[in-house]
Amino acid sequence: MLNWIDQRTGALTQMKDFLTEDVPGGASYWYAFGSATVFAMILQIATGIFLCFYYAPSTATAWESTKFLIEKVPAGHFVLSLHYWGASAMIAFMTMHLLQVLLWGAYKKPRELQWIVGVLLFIVTLVLGLTGYLLPWDLDALLASKVAIDIAGNAPVLGPAVQQFLQDGTTIGTLTINRFFGLHVWLMPALLVLLVAAHLSIFRWNGPAGPPIDEAPKLKPGRFWPEQLFMDTVLSFVLFVIVLALAAFSPVPLDDKADPNNVTFVAYPAWYFLALYALLDTVGKLPSSIVQVASLFATIVGPTLLVVLLVVLPFIDRNPSRRLSRRPWVLGVTALVMLGAIGFSWIGQSNVVEGQLRAGIIGPNAIASPAATASTGTTTGGTGGGAASTAAAGASAYTANCVTCHGATGAGAPGAFPPLAGNPVVVGDPNAVIKIVTGGLTGSITVKGGKYNGTMPAWKGTLTNAQIASVITYIRSSWGNSASAVTEAQVAAQAK
Amino acid sequence: MAHAEAYKDPGSPEEQTRRTFMANAVVALGGVIGLTLAVPLVWSLLPSSETSSDVWSPLTPEEADALKKATDKSPVRVTFNLHETNGYFGATDSEQFVWAVAATEAQMREQRPELFSTEKPTYPVVNLGFVIFSPICPHLGCRYAWNQAQDKFLCPCHGSVYDIFGKHEAGPALRGLDPLPLRDFQGKVEVTWIEYQTNTPQLVIQQVG
Repeated sequence: MLNWIDQRTGALTQMKDFLTEDVPGGASYWYAFGSATVFAMILQIATGIFLCFYYAPSTATAWESTKFLIEKVPAGHFVLSLHYWGASAMIAFMTMHLLQVLLWGAYKKPRELQWIVGVLLFIVTLVLGLTGYLLPWDLDALLASKVAIDIAGNAPVLGPAVQQFLQDGTTIGTLTINRFFGLHVWLMPALLVLLVAAHLSIFRWNGPAGPPIDEAPKLKPGRFWPEQLFMDTVLSFVLFVIVLALAAFSPVPLDDKADPNNVTFVAYPAWYFLALYALLDTVGKLPSSIVQVASLFATIVGPTLLVVLLVVLPFIDRNPSRRLSRRPWVLGVTALVMLGAIGFSWIGQSNVVEGQLRAGIIGPNAIASPAATASTGTTTGGTGGGAASTAAAGASAYTANCVTCHGATGAGAPGAFPPLAGNPVVVGDPNAVIKIVTGGLTGSITVKGGKYNGTMPAWKGTLTNAQIASVITYIRSSWGNSASAVTEAQVAAQAK
Repeated sequence: MAHAEAYKDPGSPEEQTRRTFMANAVVALGGVIGLTLAVPLVWSLLPSSETSSDVWSPLTPEEADALKKATDKSPVRVTFNLHETNGYFGATDSEQFVWAVAATEAQMREQRPELFSTEKPTYPVVNLGFVIFSPICPHLGCRYAWNQAQDKFLCPCHGSVYDIFGKHEAGPALRGLDPLPLRDFQGKVEVTWIEYQTNTPQLVIQQVG
């Protein structure tokens, strides 16, 4: 039967040709990072295709369809989490593959073009990470992408054109989501697959480079099938188990829907951009006379130079020796760059956590959860001119009594409880607010164009005048509100 | 190759000339197809030119009252309805906000001299006794917020700090907060939404082209 097929298709013969390959010095787990990256790519394509069955790109549907996928679709959250962690795994294993090739000097003649195609694959994969980040259209997606797009817009000469191409216009909107969607699900994956095909085809032409020694021809050849393919499969399986465990135990969070009016949210970059994020933070602490040059270097020139350096590396490093001991410069610079990247990533992570603590947010998606805000006790809103203790008292009184209806971010609930953030009554005449909080409110009201019909209890008696004053001060100075503080005496005058 | 008998005989000169022509034709026709297709494809990706700036947005009486509560010690976040174009959704109304600070022109001249010389906008910085700031951080486009305890505008993304007059005090931003136009038009307070290019020392309006 197999013979019959082979005679008519050549399938077995071609497969045998493909699997028959010498591995100089024998199979090794060191050679398995590249194939594990290919496996991660296949995982991304498979999960990505299934996400396309639910995802709808537009400002009106991107977040909603992602939320639906997470909450309603059987295993939807799991598939999305596989895709999310698969991206991380792909970038991590690709980086290890790159480092291994770099350390072993496998980029040297005659593999210069194989290496350059690899660098292009690295860039395309990072672009996939960047474009995928916007698609869920939550708070972090919007802010992180806005920053990335604005950085691109600052590039010399081409910057504004690139920015407007990415945004499709002068602002981020529904067309931006479609554009990123097109890049993320078609253009970049197509490029990726073509480049992988080129990378592998050139690899087969040159054959494996073997270990980093200069007497390669003397090595005893080992077999690709089944020895090396077994090790490749084992490492891919390890990658799969890690991704599976992360998806199961740390499912991807979805923040509140993207809202440019939310000023309390602390954006956080994907881990593989943490180092660049920290670099940008560090630049901000330099003397103002050099900030512009330094930030251009940190965001555009530095990363570009790094990529250019990678591309031209085989042509600069013409030393034919692949022995580690004869290549101190390449190894030294690689070690420095890696140490720098790890160090800056560490700083970046601490900065994100510090910023979230300052804003009273714990964890990436805590903004949707009142409990998390409650546990920190303080918020970013400031004290409205009062003492810090009053602000803390106001925040804790708010958390204890108000948060159930009006929400941790003062967003309220549609139809029932009006938002406090940006509510003109809240930030208006203090006496009007005091009257509502002390005496309660029933019946239909209209706030910011929305109708609300709920019941606000009268808090006089339940809360002391001091507590009412602190909570009103709190809501007038939080979530972007910035009206004056209210004193206990003002409350007492109204509550008589 | 198993099926390459035909290549063993180079053929007559006439045949060779004809083959050269056909080989060139393959490349030429392929090129014509590629280029013809590339023109509309690339063209289709040019950024859309619809822009929604330079339109006055009126504040409601409540919003205008809120604005007037702003002092030179405590800014007010003023919300308004922005009528803008959102791709295939067409004209949509969305809530937007700006920051209002009470200030005189003399104060602003003293605190933000650059707004009256090198980076002078085409509209008055101070009108009706207020300066209006775009809520977009001029560093890389996040939204900053007023922190009354520290008496500063703070941006959560990369830590830029501005005083109440929008003067850049710390962090990576390259300029102070961007003033926006404000006017009283037939008894209605109106603001104009403008998005400036971020991370430039000067005010550059984002424009297609």
